[in-house]
Amino acid sequence: MKPAPTLLSTAFLHPAGQALPEPLLALRQQRGAALVDMPLPTRKTENWKYSSKYLKLTDEMAISLPVDGKAGSALAVPGYKVVFINGVMIPEASEYPDLNNILIQRFGDLSDAEASELAERLDSTLNRKTVQLAGLNSARFEDGVVIRLKPDAVLDQPLFVIHEVTAGASGSAFPRIFVDAGRNSQMTLVEEYISSGQEAVMVNTVTEFTLAEGAQVTNVRLNMDGENVQHIGATGVRQQRSSRFESHCVGFGGPLRRHDLQVRLEGEGAECKLNGVVVTQGTQHYDNHTTIEHIAAHCNSEETYRNIAADKSHAVFNGRIHIHPDAQKSNANMNNKNLLLTTGAEIDTKPELEIYADDVKCAHGATIGQLDEESLFYLVSRGISRRDANVLLTMAFINELVAQVPVEAVKETVQARLNQFFDQAFQEV
Amino acid sequence: MLSIKNLHASVEGKEILKGINLEIKAGEVHAIMGPNGSGKSTLAQVLAGNDAFEVTSGSVTLNGENLLEKETEARARDGVFLAFQYPVEIPGVSNLQFMRTSMNAMRSHNGEPEMNAAEFMKLAREVSKQVDLDPAFLKRGVNEGFSGGEKKRNEIMQALLLKPKLTILDETDSGLDIDALKVVSDGVNALRSKDRAILMVTHYQRLLDHIVPDYVHVLADGKIVKSGGRELALELEERGYGWLGIKDDATAADAAN
Repeated sequence: MKPAPTLLSTAFLHPAGQALPEPLLALRQQRGAALVDMPLPTRKTENWKYSSKYLKLTDEMAISLPVDGKAGSALAVPGYKVVFINGVMIPEASEYPDLNNILIQRFGDLSDAEASELAERLDSTLNRKTVQLAGLNSARFEDGVVIRLKPDAVLDQPLFVIHEVTAGASGSAFPRIFVDAGRNSQMTLVEEYISSGQEAVMVNTVTEFTLAEGAQVTNVRLNMDGENVQHIGATGVRQQRSSRFESHCVGFGGPLRRHDLQVRLEGEGAECKLNGVVVTQGTQHYDNHTTIEHIAAHCNSEETYRNIAADKSHAVFNGRIHIHPDAQKSNANMNNKNLLLTTGAEIDTKPELEIYADDVKCAHGATIGQLDEESLFYLVSRGISRRDANVLLTMAFINELVAQVPVEAVKETVQARLNQFFDQAFQEV
Repeated sequence: MLSIKNLHASVEGKEILKGINLEIKAGEVHAIMGPNGSGKSTLAQVLAGNDAFEVTSGSVTLNGENLLEKETEARARDGVFLAFQYPVEIPGVSNLQFMRTSMNAMRSHNGEPEMNAAEFMKLAREVSKQVDLDPAFLKRGVNEGFSGGEKKRNEIMQALLLKPKLTILDETDSGLDIDALKVVSDGVNALRSKDRAILMVTHYQRLLDHIVPDYVHVLADGKIVKSGGRELALELEERGYGWLGIKDDATAADAAN
């Protein structure tokens, strides 16, 4: 007899924060109802196979973290920023332009008509069957920000959205962003996830983008949450004709790190570029699941992910490309390379291709390797220390992707965090 | 400067060097010749500290210090430089970054201030001209997509930057056309000085027309079987290795004809 599955605790079904327009409260309730008796993922659950053991959804975790409104260690970011603390936007800490062609609104400030329209569109970018835990965000979000770019609107500098959790006590935060990019509009959105405090907490995020014809959106996602934070995030993207979406996900490991990125190429000539860099050490974990749906013809997708795992850490990459029957002349390229810095580290990678059109170009490649001994010898034979040689070769593995991150401030943050990683991973013996 | 005594080394349990004795004084240029498989490249790798090779007995000292107990990077900082027979391609690490990291590792070892990017760039451009390498190569990945000749010139460029006490050239002439051979030889000759030494490992005497050695040694089956002056190389060129009682593929082929 099969053992009964462990169900999501009912403690998770009590949302806090009622200061939302009625249509959003109704959506939340509906999504909550769908979670009743939801079995938690186990290693038999295909898309949680390698990660279910890291997931700890205890009743303590079900509590909504208090909103104290203090912008704790939120990064001093130059330029436009929206600051969330524990899943709730803090207007006093946020700074962004008052432009009539770019609207940034809190969910709570929407009129019922606006909220009703938004409620129709929330979750529409995600396949709810494969991102089960994004449903938790839909059932629990207490706040959120909707960003609307009117046709031809161009945001002149990146907008940072800083998500901080202040882990003074156990609990969860459910931040949410919805971006509606109008025809031929352009923007760069940087999401930074950071934490303060030591208690075990969970951050459960959903970020959605809809790109109208010709829109160009770049999304940088930087995960710097602490060792006490389980991070479960989902990003959904829908693209219309000739739009372009570029994603740069850079993440450092933790007790649980999961990011699902789902892109739907729905209009002809749409293209996406997805870059990812993951670095793990100690006993950390990181799991990226990406899905690209080629639905319309003549779309391009280009995906490049790199994982580096040190010590006894564990990284997972699962990249799915689904080419629908009408998606002729699709061009899809997926590449995942992995670097194991120790024999104790583990990386699981799985490309999944499903192709139902006959006139397509689709390529994928995945490799797992270690630092090259010959290259190391060459470098040290020039007087370079072992540590520096290791750093040079490890950086060489991800340089290309880090260099492509289009926001200088993010690059600097990443480099500083990488230097910490190198100091621990390559201690001089 | 370099003193090798009864050096034995093996790889994967197979003995390659079977008792090498060699003394090199400052200011001297030595050439080691020998047929394929005689142990020439092994000697070069062992001196540089490649731990794929195990030294089973014997000693090597550099200016009186035990070289064998030092790590590869420490040997390099003490002035040992190996120009590789097959320089490694390292995509993702720029040639410039690599050379500056190397240069600064040496400088900080010698108590000199590190060079900043601009200073080093200026120096690197000058030296790249000396080996006739387009400065554009500095921006590329280390040896990435370089031709055989470009790789060898890149090796000599590093030697010119680092000014090693002991430069070991492992088949640096192989695969070079005559123009490249001239450029590489000029580079090596520029390194010659009374306080530096050069050890050339080569299969052909052609290189010795351009870099004239003070001594020539013949290595066969892991031992030096004959030593002499410049004229020994010429004799080898003329007569092959057979007269020394050494089996050589080329000689064997000649005999068969």
